[in-house]
Amino acid sequence: MNSIIDIIIKRRSIRHYKQEDIPKDLLLELVKAATWAPSASNMQAWYFIIVNDKKVLNKISSFSPGLLGNPPNVIVICSDRNKAFNKGGKLGRDELCLMDISMAAENLMLLATEKGLGTCAIKSFNGKAIQKILELPDYVSSELIISIGYPMKEVKPPKRKTVEEVSFENRWGERI
Amino acid sequence: MNEQDIMKIFSYIATSARGCIDEPKIYGSFRLVEIMSKLFWMLKSNNLIANNKLNRIIDKIDEKKYVCVKDEKKFIGLLDEVIDDLFELVD
Repeated sequence: MNSIIDIIIKRRSIRHYKQEDIPKDLLLELVKAATWAPSASNMQAWYFIIVNDKKVLNKISSFSPGLLGNPPNVIVICSDRNKAFNKGGKLGRDELCLMDISMAAENLMLLATEKGLGTCAIKSFNGKAIQKILELPDYVSSELIISIGYPMKEVKPPKRKTVEEVSFENRWGERI
Repeated sequence: MNEQDIMKIFSYIATSARGCIDEPKIYGSFRLVEIMSKLFWMLKSNNLIANNKLNRIIDKIDEKKYVCVKDEKKFIGLLDEVIDDLFELVD
């Protein structure tokens, strides 16, 4: 069994997918992992829209330049800004709910990696168009699109900064 | 190739144009070569183009374009190569 650090290191942004549909149960498992992410004041101001209808997917793709590699499925992660405001005030609405969604997305992508799936988190899309396509109510905004599918090929990891390069001890500038 | 194919390409271009205002500068260059690839494959699948040299250029773009998010210098090198290759094809 892979340890969590193995999965974290194994995850890549995938931009070439096999045309193989993913069972809905598996997609729901990914959403479950996302919903177990922490959220500010436990607000859980998020919604997950599983897109597996090819017609809807094609239309999303036309308005999402960042959606590459023809994935068979996407999950659109949305925020409920009203809920976030009611629970977390301005900070909750403008910042915290987005951080929560990012953590949820990482959970989703890590479980996907463990299941042999590839993912890519995408922000290059037109929010207004996605709003119309998915018929989102006004208070719900699309924040991230996660493309999901079986990877066509293995992707080499990009260079990472070392822990020493990005860490300090106790105060800024104090190298580890 | 039908009207809907054209609509999709136009939607992609317009969305990219709007996105480029807020997105990292290099994404603009990426979107332009991406649209070259999209157009080529659309034309080829409809038997509207059959130029092997151009096909090889597009293959090169498709193979190397993602380097744009990892290594900007290599991506610029790819763009320079593509321009050199295209120069040989244009009368």
